[in-house]
Amino acid sequence: MKKFMIFGLPLFAFVALLVFLYKGLFSDPRELESSLLQQTVPHFNLPNLMQVDETFNQDVFLGKVTLLNVWGVWCITCAIELPYLTQLRQEGKHIVGLYYDQDIDPDFGQKTVQRVQQEVQQKLAQLGNPYAFNIFDVKRNLSLDLGVTGAPETFLIDQHGRIVLHHIGDLNPRIWDKKFASVYAGLVGAQ
Amino acid sequence: MASRFSVLCFCALWSVALLASEDAYKFDNGAQHATFIELTKALRCPKCQNQNLADSDAMIAQDLKRKVHELILQGQSSEQIIHFMKQRYGDFVYYQPPVNPTTIWLWILPIGFILAAGGAVIFSQRKGSTQLSDEQAKHAQTLLEKDD
Repeated sequence: MKKFMIFGLPLFAFVALLVFLYKGLFSDPRELESSLLQQTVPHFNLPNLMQVDETFNQDVFLGKVTLLNVWGVWCITCAIELPYLTQLRQEGKHIVGLYYDQDIDPDFGQKTVQRVQQEVQQKLAQLGNPYAFNIFDVKRNLSLDLGVTGAPETFLIDQHGRIVLHHIGDLNPRIWDKKFASVYAGLVGAQ
Repeated sequence: MASRFSVLCFCALWSVALLASEDAYKFDNGAQHATFIELTKALRCPKCQNQNLADSDAMIAQDLKRKVHELILQGQSSEQIIHFMKQRYGDFVYYQPPVNPTTIWLWILPIGFILAAGGAVIFSQRKGSTQLSDEQAKHAQTLLEKDD
């Protein structure tokens, strides 16, 4: 018994520590649990990027399973995922863009909307257009309410306007299969 | 002389730059400014995770700072603003973790370790006495004598 106390206990503690630290090697600190899961999309009232006199609110997500993709032309990773998103659209998925511009700093003056539209059109013509439409998050208030930390991020929203998944980072076939496919199939099946 | 003048100019410009960054946010009174400084130090940037909002230059940190400023001007208290941020970015966004079944170990483990270690020391002191039996004492004596 005493022998166990002297040798076994420290060994046990050491092994426990080893397992804990080893697991730590593979944990991703950027993987944050979104605090908005299972809640409805926050209230908003924002213009259509391509036609600013038309506005959208949270009801735009009702009745359809939607992928809401946060992006911008200045975002390099977004450019990488655009072709894959376009492929998803061709498979019949409803994808809505939440667009925001980097340039909000009053010191540098704001870009004109025409300039932003032009940049977006260029980018989409070049890499494919996955979006049914783009919501223009002018002051990034909706992004903030959604807990967006940067671009790209993607939300899966069900037909009742509830947020089901929140993915930080780009969407690619691997992430789709691992994280989205089964949940998406479940939602569409229930529709 | 010229170099001394340029150093002076540099210092003057530098202090102006510092003041400018401080003055980007306007407040109604000193208390609001103090709350702002306190909150931007206590809130964590969700993008660059080992920096607080005050230190970080990430776009999201600037947005959150702007929001904190806006909420302070609306007259919200620190608790309300922290709650606002937690609702959007989770407990992660605030440096002080809440006490819940997962995080309670942060408090239990150190205290438990101190108690266990203290207990072990007392236990071993009581048990492992330095008293020798007569036989052991005799044996020790012979060993010592042999040494001489």
